[in-house]
Amino acid sequence: MEEKRIGVYVCWCGTNIAAMVDVEKVASGLKELPDIVVSKDYKYMCSDPGQDMIIQDIKNHNLNRIVVAACSPRMHEITFRKALENAGLNPYMFEMANIREHDSWVHTNRAEATRKARDLIAGAVSKVKWHESLEKRSVPVNPATLIIGGGIAGISAALELANAGKQVYLIERKALLGGTVSALDLTSPFLNSARQMIDHKIKEVMDHRLIKVYLNSEVEQIFGYVGNFETTIRYNKRETRLNFGNVIVATGLKPFDASRVTNYGYGRLPNVITALEFEQVLKDGVILTRDGREPKNVAIIHCVGSRNEDYNPYCSRTCCMVALKFVNQLKSALPKATIIDIYSDMRSFGKGCEELYSDTSKKNVMFLTFDHKADLPQIRQASYDDPCNLIIEFKEKFSGEPIEVPADMVILMVGMEAHENAKQVAHGVGISMCGNRFFIERHPKLDPVATTTDGVYVVGTCQSPKDIPDSVSQARAAAARILATILAGSVSIEVTTAEVNEKICCGCQTCIKVCPYSAISYSQEKKVSAVNEIICKGCGTCGSTCPTGAIKSKHFTDIQILSQIEGLMSLQEVY
Amino acid sequence: MNENPKIIAFLCNWCSYTGADLAGTSRMKYASYVRVIRVMCSGRVDPTFVIKSFQEGADGVLICGCHPGDCHYHEGNYKCLRRFHLLQKYIKQMGIQPERLRLEWISASEGREFSELVNEFSESIKALEPSQIKESIETFS
Repeated sequence: MEEKRIGVYVCWCGTNIAAMVDVEKVASGLKELPDIVVSKDYKYMCSDPGQDMIIQDIKNHNLNRIVVAACSPRMHEITFRKALENAGLNPYMFEMANIREHDSWVHTNRAEATRKARDLIAGAVSKVKWHESLEKRSVPVNPATLIIGGGIAGISAALELANAGKQVYLIERKALLGGTVSALDLTSPFLNSARQMIDHKIKEVMDHRLIKVYLNSEVEQIFGYVGNFETTIRYNKRETRLNFGNVIVATGLKPFDASRVTNYGYGRLPNVITALEFEQVLKDGVILTRDGREPKNVAIIHCVGSRNEDYNPYCSRTCCMVALKFVNQLKSALPKATIIDIYSDMRSFGKGCEELYSDTSKKNVMFLTFDHKADLPQIRQASYDDPCNLIIEFKEKFSGEPIEVPADMVILMVGMEAHENAKQVAHGVGISMCGNRFFIERHPKLDPVATTTDGVYVVGTCQSPKDIPDSVSQARAAAARILATILAGSVSIEVTTAEVNEKICCGCQTCIKVCPYSAISYSQEKKVSAVNEIICKGCGTCGSTCPTGAIKSKHFTDIQILSQIEGLMSLQEVY
Repeated sequence: MNENPKIIAFLCNWCSYTGADLAGTSRMKYASYVRVIRVMCSGRVDPTFVIKSFQEGADGVLICGCHPGDCHYHEGNYKCLRRFHLLQKYIKQMGIQPERLRLEWISASEGREFSELVNEFSESIKALEPSQIKESIETFS
C-alpha cells in the first residue's frame, strides 16, 4: 500500500470558528497523529491564499490526502476538490470536517467545542486514509427541456430556450396558459395592463415551432439524471413519453384561503372579497357591491394570512404594492368614495415602488395602521341605522385607541402560499421543500435557481413569494444555465456510485430488490449482480444490504466509514 | 449517570445533514456530545456501522433520515427503518439497552427539531450508566 501523506488544514473562518474553537491548539495537536505530514490553521481556507497554501503544500510535501476542517461540505467541498485538482491530485482524495455549522456555531463551551473539533477532524483523517481516486464521467446532454407550469415564469423560460433554437415541452395543469398573471387587471407599480403583456407572450408560445404545449396535463414521476431525463405525461386521457435533458419547475402559487382568518368574515360577509376577486371586478369594469350599489367607503386590509405565526410567518412581498395599485384604480373609478388602507407596515422596496407609495399618499387616501402581531381587525355587519354595510373595528397602532371604520366593501390582501400539490411535484422531480412548502434552491445567495438535484431548476413563486420581474429574471437565469450545459454538450455525473466485486458476490440478488432505480441486474452467465453506473445515484442502500460485502458504495465504503468511527472515538481524554 | 456521553450520529446528506447545517446557520445552541458522520442516505447505514460505534465505546447512536415519503432516493429511509427495528432487538441480545439507539426523521428545514432532538437524546443517554461494551469486549477477547 502506498504511503499516506496527509495534510490537515483548520480554518478560522474569521472569528466564526476561531471564537469558539482553539484552532491553533487543534492544528498543532494533530501533528502527533500518524500519517499527518502537515497540519496548519489559517484565517480563511476558502480564500485564494488559503487554497494556494494547500496547492503549494501538496507539491512541496508530496501530500496525497487532504482534510480541511471548516464549514459544511455542502458549502465548500467543491471549492477544495477543485484546489486538489489544480495541484494535480485526484479531487476525491479529500475529506471535510464540519467544525462550523456542526460545532462552533452551535456550542457555547470553548473547551467542549475544541474537543469536538479534534474528534471530527480525527474521524475525517481516518476516513481519508481509505479514500480512492475516482474518475469523473460525463454523458451527452439531451438539448430538450421540460418546463412544468405555464405561468409567467414558465412562459419566459420557454421563450428564452426556444428562441435559442432548443426544443421545449411546456406542461400546464389548467386549460389555459398565463397562470396568476392572467387573473390580474393592471400590474404595479407602473399600472400597465397585465392582459396585454401576458396575451402577447401566450400567443408567442403557442405559435413557436420549438415549444410543444401540453394543456390539461400533469407529470408524475421523472426518471433519469441530468442530461437524460424521461417521463410520461398524461393529457386528454392520452399518454406521451418525453425525453429531455433538464427540468424547470415553475408551478406557481396558491392564494391564501381568507376564510381561515375568521375575524374578517370572508365567506360569511358577501362584501368582504379577496384581492384576486377584486382584480376580476376591475377587469369587468364596474365596481359595485354584491347588492349592486356603488360603494361609498372601500377599505383594504393588508397582511391577510401573512406575517402571522397562526397562518404564514413570512411576508408575501407583493401585496402592499398591489394594494396601492387598487387605491389608485379606486380613486379614478370612484372619485367621491372614501378609500381606507389599513396596513401594518408598508413594504415598498424595488424600482418605482416607493414612488408609487409617495404619489398615492398625496391622493387624499386614509392610511391607518394595525399591529399584525397583536389583535387583527374585526369586521362585522353594520346595523340598519348605520350608513354603511360593514364596520371594521381595530386598535389603531400609533394612538393605541380602538377605532371603528365604516366600509361598503373590504378587499383582503391575501398572501401567497405554496401550491397544494407542491409535495407531489417535489417527489416527482426529486427536490426538497422548506418549512413553508416552497421548493429549496441549491444555495440561497450563490445558486438561487438550481436545486440539489442536478438538471432541475426552480423558478417563480414556487420557490418563494415574488413579483413578476423577479419571476421572469429567475426563469431566464434558469434558461441561461440550461443553455450553458447544452452548449457544453456534456455534463459530469455522479461518480460515487456502487460497484460489485464479482469475486465475492454470491448471486443472492438482495441488492436488486432494494435498489430504488433498478440500476442493478443479474448476470445469468456470471451468476453475479452488476451495477449500471449510469443509472446508479449512489445512495448506498445496496451496499448496506449486501450480506457478503461484495458491493462497494464508492466514497462511502464500509472501511471508510468504519475507520471514521474509529477516528471519532480515538481521542480518549475527557474534557 | 454519565456526565460525558459519546454519541455518534449518522445523518443523511439531503435532509438531516442539511437540517443540522440549518441549526448551525441559525445559531441554535445544543449539547456537544454528538459526533456526526455524513452518509448519502439513511439507507446506507449498514448495521455494522451501528455495532462498530458501540464497540468503539459510543454510549448512544442516532440515525436521522428524511421524513417518510421525502427520501431523496425515494425509499432508502424505509430500508433504514426496517433495519432499525431488527437492530434494536439485536443490540438488546448483545447486552446494549435498545434506547441507546434512536432513529428520527429530520427534514432540511428542521434545524430547531434537530437541536431539540440532540438535547433530548443527550439527556436520555446521560441518564444511563456509561456503556461497558468496549471494556467487555476487551476483557473477553
